[in-house]
Amino acid sequence: MSDGAARRSWMLALPVLALLLWVVAFPNVAVIAGSFENGFGHWREFIASPSDREALTTSIVISLASVVASVLIGVPLAFLLSRFEFPGRRILRAVATLPAALPPLVGVIAFLFLYGESGVVARGVQTALGMEEAPWRLTGVWAIIFVHAYTMYVYVFLFVSAGLERFDVTLDEAASGLGASSWHRLRKVTLPLLTPALAGSMLLVFMTSLGSFSAPYVFGGGIRVLSTQIVASKLNGSLGLAYVETTVLALSAVAGLVLFRWLERKRKYTSSGKGGATRRIIRSRRAQTIAAVLSSLTVIVLVLPHLMVILVSFAVDGSWTTQVLPPEYTLDNYRRLVAESQLWKPIVNSVSMAVIATAANVVVCFVAAYLIVLRTFSGRALLELLVALPWAIPATAIALGLAATFNRNDLLAGRVLLVGTFWILPLAYFIRGIPLVSTAVEGSLRQLDASLEDAARGLGASWWLTMKRVVLPAARPGLVAGALLAGVTAVGEFVAGVVLYTHANRPISIEILAQLRALAFGTAAAYSVLLIVLVLIMTLAARGLEERIA
Amino acid sequence: MRRRWLCAAAIASISCSGDDRTVLTVYSPHGKDLLGYFEKGFETAHPAIDVQWVDMGSQEVLDRVRAEGTNPQADLWFGAPAEAFDRAAKENLLEPYIPTWSNSVSVEARDERDRWYGTYLTPEVIGYNTAAVSRADAPRDWDDVLDPKWKGKVLIRDPIASGTMRAIFGAIVARSVARTGSPEAGYEWLRKLDANTREYTLNPTILYQKLGRQEGVITLWDMPDIATLQQRLKIPVDYVIPSSGTPLLVDGIAIVRGTKRPKEARLYYEYVSTPEALKEAAVRFLRIPARTDIARDSLPEWIRVAMTKIKPMPVDRKLMADSLNTWMKYWDANIRNSGRTR
Repeated sequence: MSDGAARRSWMLALPVLALLLWVVAFPNVAVIAGSFENGFGHWREFIASPSDREALTTSIVISLASVVASVLIGVPLAFLLSRFEFPGRRILRAVATLPAALPPLVGVIAFLFLYGESGVVARGVQTALGMEEAPWRLTGVWAIIFVHAYTMYVYVFLFVSAGLERFDVTLDEAASGLGASSWHRLRKVTLPLLTPALAGSMLLVFMTSLGSFSAPYVFGGGIRVLSTQIVASKLNGSLGLAYVETTVLALSAVAGLVLFRWLERKRKYTSSGKGGATRRIIRSRRAQTIAAVLSSLTVIVLVLPHLMVILVSFAVDGSWTTQVLPPEYTLDNYRRLVAESQLWKPIVNSVSMAVIATAANVVVCFVAAYLIVLRTFSGRALLELLVALPWAIPATAIALGLAATFNRNDLLAGRVLLVGTFWILPLAYFIRGIPLVSTAVEGSLRQLDASLEDAARGLGASWWLTMKRVVLPAARPGLVAGALLAGVTAVGEFVAGVVLYTHANRPISIEILAQLRALAFGTAAAYSVLLIVLVLIMTLAARGLEERIA
Repeated sequence: MRRRWLCAAAIASISCSGDDRTVLTVYSPHGKDLLGYFEKGFETAHPAIDVQWVDMGSQEVLDRVRAEGTNPQADLWFGAPAEAFDRAAKENLLEPYIPTWSNSVSVEARDERDRWYGTYLTPEVIGYNTAAVSRADAPRDWDDVLDPKWKGKVLIRDPIASGTMRAIFGAIVARSVARTGSPEAGYEWLRKLDANTREYTLNPTILYQKLGRQEGVITLWDMPDIATLQQRLKIPVDYVIPSSGTPLLVDGIAIVRGTKRPKEARLYYEYVSTPEALKEAAVRFLRIPARTDIARDSLPEWIRVAMTKIKPMPVDRKLMADSLNTWMKYWDANIRNSGRTR
C-alpha cells in the first residue's frame, strides 16, 4: 500500500478511534479500575463466592446454547425465504423479524402470559388434558434459552439473509453443472461464502445473551447469571464486587469475540460477482402444501407474543385469574392512555433519541467497517476491538460506566457533564448500536473483493467516486439492516434507560415500567402495543428506503 | 423529509422542558398515580415551580443518589423504608431538615439527626389468595408460613432489590440475634422459608400477578399494597396481621445533600406531609400516615382496624444499618434456592 493510502486511512481512523476510545474504552477503564479499588480484595471475594462461580458458568452455557438455537432457527428460515417461492412466503418474510420488534421487557412479559405456568398455552393444555397441575413451568436455564432463541434468531436471520442477497447464484449453478450434489454445494460453496455473516451474527447472539438481563431475571427462577448478579451486588451496596463481576463478564465476552472471529478468519472467501438472487418456485403440489402449513405454523408462533400483548391490552386488570383466556374485555386501557396528556412525550423522546443515535451509528460505523475490512493500517486491531467492545459489556455496565464518567465537567480529564441531561441516553444508545451496525456492514463489505476498490482507483476513479460507486453499494444491505436493528433496539431499550433516564428524556420502556409498577398491566400492554406499532412503522420505512435506493 | 421532522421533534423535546419555572426533581417509588396527584396540587399552589418526578424502586433510588454523589440530580427523595434512608444518611447523602411537624412523629419515625422523617407507616403482613385459601386455613403468624403444607406455594419478591423484603428478612434475623446472640437461628428460619418458596419474583407486579393467578397462594408483603390489590384492583387477596408482632416499617422523605434548590425542596417536603395531604394519601392511595396528630376517625376504616391489631416488632435500627447487608449477602450466597427441589 502506498504512503498516500496509509495516510488517508489514518486520517479517517484518527477521529473514529479517538471517539471510540473516549466513549467506549474510557468508561470501562473506570469500571476495571474500580474493581481494584482495594487491591485484590473484591476479586478474592468473587473467587470465594460459590454463587458468583455458578453465575459465570451458567452465563456461558446459556449464551452458547442460545447461539446454537438461534442458528438452528435463523439459517433455515433465511434460506427458505431467499431461495424458494412458496405460498405464504410474503407474509412469513414480513413477520420473520417481528421478535426483534418486541422490546425486551415487553417480550418477557408476553412470554410469561403465554407460556408461563399460568399462561394461555399452559392453562390450555392443562384444561384440554384435564391435568391437576400446569404441564410445565417456564423457569430455569431452558426457559431462558427458549426466550433468547425466539428473540435472537432474528440476528442470524437478518445477517444470513443479507449475505444471501449478495450471494452469487451463478457459483452455485456452476458447481451444480460440474456435478456437485446439493449437500456438497451447501458445504463447499454456500456455507463458506456465508461464514462472515454467520460468524458475525453468532457473535452478536453470544454477546446479547451474555448481557441479557430481563429473561434471566424473570424466568431464572433463582438461577444466577452474571448480568443479574451485577445488579444484585450494586443494589446491595457492593459496588466493588459489581465492578469485578462486570469485568469478568466482559472478559468472557472478549473470549467469545476471539473465538467467533477465529471461526470467521478460518474461512475467508470473497466473490467478485454482482450478486442477485433468483428464487426457485416450488411447483410440486405436495411440497407446496407442506410449505404452506409449515410457514403458517411459524407465522403463528412468531406472532403469538404480539397477539398476547394485544389481548392483555384489552383485558380488565385483575379479572383474569385461573381461566385460560381473560374473561372480561374493555377499551378502558386505551382510554386511559389517550386521557393522559403526557402520552406522546415518551414516544417523541424515544424516537428522537433513537434517530440521533442511529444517525451517528451509520456514519461512524460505516467508516469503521470500511477501515477494518478494506484497509490495512496499524491501528486496525484496536479499532476492531473497540467496535466490538460494547457488546461485551452488559447494558447496565455501560450505563454504570457512563454515569461514573460523564457526571461532571472536567475537560482536562475528558469528562463532560451529561448525566441528568437529555444527551446521556442517546450516547448510551449510540454505544450499544456500534457493534450492531459495524458487524452488519463488515459482513456486507467482506463479500466485496478488495481488488475491486483498487481496480476502480487504478482506472482513475477518485477516492470519493470509488466510495460512492463501489464501497457504499456493497455496504448498503448491511448498513440498512444494522441501522434498522440499532434503531429498533434503541426505541425499545430498557436496561440502560432505567439507570440513566431523567425527566427530560424519559423513554417509552420506562413509561411501560411505570404502568407496571402502578399495577396497570392492561395500560402497560396498551402502551406496548403502541411501541410495537412504532417499530413496525420503522421496519416498513427502512424496507421502503432500501427498495427505493436499490 | 421524515428525518427533518424527527430532528425537529428531537429539538422540541429538548427545549420543551425549558420553561422559566424552577425545576424540582423528586426521586420516588410511590408510583405515577400518587406522584402525579401531588404534582398537580403542588404546582397549583406554587406556580413558579415545575415538579419533575422520576419513579423507581427505593433501592434503585438509593443506588442512584449514591452514584450521583457530589453532583446530585435529585432535590428530594420521597419514599423508602427507614433502613434505606439510614444507609444513605450513613453515607452522608442526605441534607438535615427539621419539618414544622417534627414533634408529631414517634422517635422510630425520624432520624435522630433530622436527615429524614417518616411520612407513611408500612406494616408487613402475610398475604394469601382468598380463592384458594380460606381465612381459617391461612397462616396466622410468621412461623406458620414454614409449615410443610405450604411447600411450593409461597411466592417471595426477590429480596435483594426490595426494601420491604429486606425489612422482613432483617426482622427475622434480628429477632434471632436478640434471642440467641447469633444470626444462625434466623438463617435456619429463612432456609425453611426457602424450602417452601416456589419462586422469587422479579418485581411486585409479577408477584401480584402470580398470587392472583394462583401460581402461589401465600406471600409476605406489606399491608397497603395488598389492600390496594384487594380494594382497587379487585384481585382475590387478603392479609393476616402476624399475631406475634410485625415490623412496622417507616416510609420517609429526605432532602438530597447538595441540592441547588433547598427552598423549593422544603416547600414540597411540607406540602406532602400536611394532615390534609396525608389524609388524601390514605383515602386515595391507601397509605397509613406516620404523623400521630391526625384524628384516627378521619382515616379509612381498614386503617383504624389494622392499627388496633398491629403489635409492632421492636427494630434495632443501628443493628440493621450495620448488619443487614451482610445478612442479605449471606442469604443470597448460601440460602437462596438451597432448600428448593428444582
